[in-house]
Amino acid sequence: MPPASAQERLEGLRIIAPAAPGGGWDQTARVMQQVLQEAGLASGVSVENIPGAAGTIGLARFIGAERGNGDAVMVSGLIMLGAIVTNRSPVTLDDVVPIARLTGEYEVLAVPAGSPFRTLADFLEAFKARPESISWGGGSAGGSDQILAGLIAQAVRVAPSRVNYIAFSGGGESLSAILGGQVSVGVNGLAELAPHISGGTLRALAISSGGRLAGLDIPTLREQGVDVEFENWRSVVAPPGISDEDRRRLAETIDAMVHSEPWRRALEQYRWIDRYLAGDDYARFADAEEARVQAILRELGTGRGERSFADAGPYPLFVLAGLVVFGIASVLSFRRHGGPDGGVLIAPARWGAVARPTGRVWQPIAVLAVGILIHLTLAERAGFIVAAAALFWFTARAFDARHPLRDAVFAVAVSAGAWLLFARVLQLPLP
Amino acid sequence: MADLPLASIVAAAFGGVAWGIFGGALPGISPSITMALLLPLTFGLEATTAIVMLASTYVGAEYGGSIPGILIRTPGTNAAAATVVDGYALKEQGKAGEALGISLYSGFVGGLFGLTVLYLLTEPLSTVALAFTPAAYFALGMLGLSVIASLSRESLVRGLLAGVIGLMISTIGTDPVTGLNRFTFDSPELLSGIPPILVMVGVYAIAELMAQAGETGWQHAPRERARIRFPRPAVWKRIARPQAIGSVIGTFEGMMPGGGGAISSFIAYDQARRFSRHKEEFGKGSVEGIAAPEAANNTVACTALVPLLSLGIPSSNSAAVLLGGFLMHGLVPGPMLLVENGEVVNGLYLGLLAANIAMVVVGYLVMTPCLWLVGQPRPYLTAFIFALVVSGVYAVETSLFHVGVALVFGAVGYAMRYFKVPVLPMVLGVVLGFMVESNYRRALVLSDGDHMTFIQDRVSAGLLLVAVLFVIGSLLRHVRDRRTRHAGR
Repeated sequence: MPPASAQERLEGLRIIAPAAPGGGWDQTARVMQQVLQEAGLASGVSVENIPGAAGTIGLARFIGAERGNGDAVMVSGLIMLGAIVTNRSPVTLDDVVPIARLTGEYEVLAVPAGSPFRTLADFLEAFKARPESISWGGGSAGGSDQILAGLIAQAVRVAPSRVNYIAFSGGGESLSAILGGQVSVGVNGLAELAPHISGGTLRALAISSGGRLAGLDIPTLREQGVDVEFENWRSVVAPPGISDEDRRRLAETIDAMVHSEPWRRALEQYRWIDRYLAGDDYARFADAEEARVQAILRELGTGRGERSFADAGPYPLFVLAGLVVFGIASVLSFRRHGGPDGGVLIAPARWGAVARPTGRVWQPIAVLAVGILIHLTLAERAGFIVAAAALFWFTARAFDARHPLRDAVFAVAVSAGAWLLFARVLQLPLP
Repeated sequence: MADLPLASIVAAAFGGVAWGIFGGALPGISPSITMALLLPLTFGLEATTAIVMLASTYVGAEYGGSIPGILIRTPGTNAAAATVVDGYALKEQGKAGEALGISLYSGFVGGLFGLTVLYLLTEPLSTVALAFTPAAYFALGMLGLSVIASLSRESLVRGLLAGVIGLMISTIGTDPVTGLNRFTFDSPELLSGIPPILVMVGVYAIAELMAQAGETGWQHAPRERARIRFPRPAVWKRIARPQAIGSVIGTFEGMMPGGGGAISSFIAYDQARRFSRHKEEFGKGSVEGIAAPEAANNTVACTALVPLLSLGIPSSNSAAVLLGGFLMHGLVPGPMLLVENGEVVNGLYLGLLAANIAMVVVGYLVMTPCLWLVGQPRPYLTAFIFALVVSGVYAVETSLFHVGVALVFGAVGYAMRYFKVPVLPMVLGVVLGFMVESNYRRALVLSDGDHMTFIQDRVSAGLLLVAVLFVIGSLLRHVRDRRTRHAGR
């Protein structure tokens, strides 16, 4: 019989945040870590960041490396669904075990206070009349802001491919473009826009929630006749192949977490909206969202193979032309002046030190290369300390260190030190 | 002001700066990551203390990045890339201590200048960021790239070639406008593009390592004994101008989203050279070449708070982490913050003042161990640098693929040295490429494909004009130099 208590403590839970430190997923993971420990639901909780490609790299790594591990979870969400489509990721959220949806953020359509659009109806009239004349500003391509723009277009029977969406990278750039009136309308998360709406510099046309939010005088899309409900949700998933027992334990721990006092406090501090939905209900929700996101992104034209180089406008051609011109000119200048004398550019005083390679020069570089190869082979097989020690030893060797044994001792000491530094002090994982 | 928890603010400033210098000095660990790693720790702190701690980390990291830049030719942060050139050249002349002293002192001057601007002018300057349209950002990027023309003194062609290669590298990854994948060769690791810091680690640190391995005769060179030296009065006078240039440029760059420390350092470096009486020393160990970029990137650490506090606009990744810190404590940066939470903002100003002082104190204290470290026997020192760089790259990217990328750029950097193609323009291209391309295309989408938008937008037109003037000026000098050289023969 397993212990009956729902509060059994998880030991050494690892939370994967498929993003660099500082973003929304990372914050979610770190708040979970904090709350789980504070509420006594788990001990020794750690957070690992696997950044890259809007979470799809983290997803692929999670599925590959954590299969069957009952002590690992990953933070996920709507943006990952979009990224799976745009990046044509070989793995999808169907490959992981859904645990629960945790939080959500609603999106707001807003215009600067001086905009001619007083209401959503004004705006939609102009949009329907000449879709291309309206520029929509928001976050990165294929992200939640663009998805909502596409859904609204679809709901008012304008082909989403005609949405003139300007993708800005990062919240700062899109917010300043919206505030500066550089785009006709801004689509962004409520949290980013709220201070400017209450301050009067922006006018909110609509919010994407199902009903009006308490304390906020913003009409919903739906009550203004646009049948769209949308949120940028975040969830937690477990690796494939875990036992039912592990799954039950994780689900119970998360359930206890979202009902704890520290979680409630954290939601308030971060202004996240509690959108807890567990088990099969969440799985069904995620499936429906996946279908919706895939369909709209296809309509918007992101992630399809057919759109190509030409869409980038003349920019790549400029770069290419520059490369050809300067490449030819460089070859000519080499021929005229010869290599080494062709002109010393911005350089340290010792610049000319790279001598014409001779046997004496290549030998240490070869030793260096051997060290690098051994490091790369060993790093994920034998662990970081061994691999880094090998690298250290070979590098020292390339530089004429003559005491193999003493070098080896130094090597192990230095790599153990580096491991402590990164893995323990900075909490950044090494193999 | 009386109610502020002074003692805890000062303690937080010292703690934050120390942590920032540590994180910034580790190659690969950016200021934003250093700050984010501290976030969970600030969760339990009182709001003002927590925010001071994060802001101080930013201040510390901007200085910390220049330590490895000067000592081991590896910029710890993107913004320290411009410092590497003259900093490392000075180190090679046995003046590492002096270089570090100038960097620290210039960072302090820049920080104080930025803080003064922040304190006095936050409200009037808050709209500067909003005046920048995509066209203007494109022009700003071009201004940054125009630096290449004057950096490539003797072979303009190869400098431009390197710059274009840098721009090409920056197009790898996800298309900023359509979200499509380009040049990723179906490798998922390339989807996010190649982080500039990997290119820098490769072409600077690893290429340097390879070059040193190939050298002979260093065994007989005398051991360097660098001592810490703060700038003498004569040097003070000399670096006042580059510091002023750096501070002014840093002020504006800090306020613009997407600008940030790296661009400001490059432009400041270039401008300092333009206005210098000792142009010929640049690139060969000029004290001015350290003072300008270091003043600039520390000014940015303060002025980045202008749009953040007044509008809630984070102008860089580091500012975004700081924004997270505000939100975590229920504070919303924006127009109402200055009105409703004036005491937190005042506490922050005070904390930043303390942080700049702490930077000098802590910075001075860490110099001795750093100099001791680089005074070790060459085989162990280089092996240590290599192990540290590789672990830093791995720890941040958690993938061996990126370690491989850095090593490939090491080989590229070595080849470039051999063929005497300058690496700095390539680094500049990689750093600015994304900004130039994405804003060029955004501007065209907004203008319906009409290139006139770059001239009709006043800010853009002005910046482009300045860029063109820079390039023409550099070309004229180029021609003149060549003539005098021919005449001398």
